[in-house]
Amino acid sequence: MSQSAATKPVEDLVAKVNEEVAVGEDLGFQRSWWRFERILWTLFLLIIALDVGGMFGRGPLAHAQATSADGSLHVSYERIQRTGTPSILSVTLQESAVRGGEATLFVSDNLVGALGSRRIIPEPATTRLGDGGFTYTFPIGKPPAIVRFELEPSGAGRFPFEISAGPRAGTVSADVWVVP
Amino acid sequence: MQAVLRAYFGYFFLVLIVRVVGRRPGRQLTPFEFVLVFFIGGLALTAIVGDERSFTNAGCQILAVALAHYTIAWARAKSRTLSRVIDGTPLILMETDRMGQRLWRQETMAKMRIQDTDVLFSARDHGLKTLQEIDTAILERNGDISVLAAGGSPDDEPNSADEPRRVREVKVA
Repeated sequence: MSQSAATKPVEDLVAKVNEEVAVGEDLGFQRSWWRFERILWTLFLLIIALDVGGMFGRGPLAHAQATSADGSLHVSYERIQRTGTPSILSVTLQESAVRGGEATLFVSDNLVGALGSRRIIPEPATTRLGDGGFTYTFPIGKPPAIVRFELEPSGAGRFPFEISAGPRAGTVSADVWVVP
Repeated sequence: MQAVLRAYFGYFFLVLIVRVVGRRPGRQLTPFEFVLVFFIGGLALTAIVGDERSFTNAGCQILAVALAHYTIAWARAKSRTLSRVIDGTPLILMETDRMGQRLWRQETMAKMRIQDTDVLFSARDHGLKTLQEIDTAILERNGDISVLAAGGSPDDEPNSADEPRRVREVKVA
């Protein structure tokens, strides 16, 4: 013998129109929801405006520049970057950074690791590891010369980096924020 | 781990967006709204899948979304409040008062971005030709517009003043 199905009495709790059509409308709740929607749309507009401005990367607010104290280095970069999205960090080497037709450029480990340096243009003549980063040398003709790093961060977070034109030369230190 | 979190985020974010964008899916999907559905779907896919194109990733993300969907459906059945938050409540778009006058609910129509032509579309779909043949129009939780015809079935006697108005439900697909 099969078991009987569990049952309970039907209660007529659904709100009606003119006391005859059971609709279940709740205008009080709906008005609260509309208010919530208005707040949400305002928030959406704010997010879009910030994005267009570059607050989440790739816009005027994201672009940053820094120059070393002695003026030998000028770095142009995106201070807000996006995960998995390429960007360019340019280093302009002035005359004071060049010695004997060669410039030395030290970059901290974060630039290659967390910020994901994929390529250096032009390719350095030599690379030396150690001191918490990489030291590259570039043969240079008449300064200024520009070295470009193609970055592609693989994760979100705040990543400080440092670039200098050698042990006793000017240094640029800055932070890059990577959004998810 | 990250892929599953991305799938959860994508799912709940889309549930919120679809809920906020408006209740006009299903049979009322216009070509204009098709663009929205495919565009949002495509954009979400890029971020949710990322660069992980493996079968394992796809399988785990599908399971994560299925679990999220099951959880929402379960919670909705348990809680009336949550059910209202997720699906909303039915909303009356047009009603007939005791004097027999048909009234639009202007606030609801405006805030749900629905026009009288949308109500007429549903009416025609169910064999009613004019607004005078409608007693009540309701925007259902799934976005359909239900239309209750005025005056009961065509064979019924006309309503007397003392008798409550009769309505005949027009089946909504």
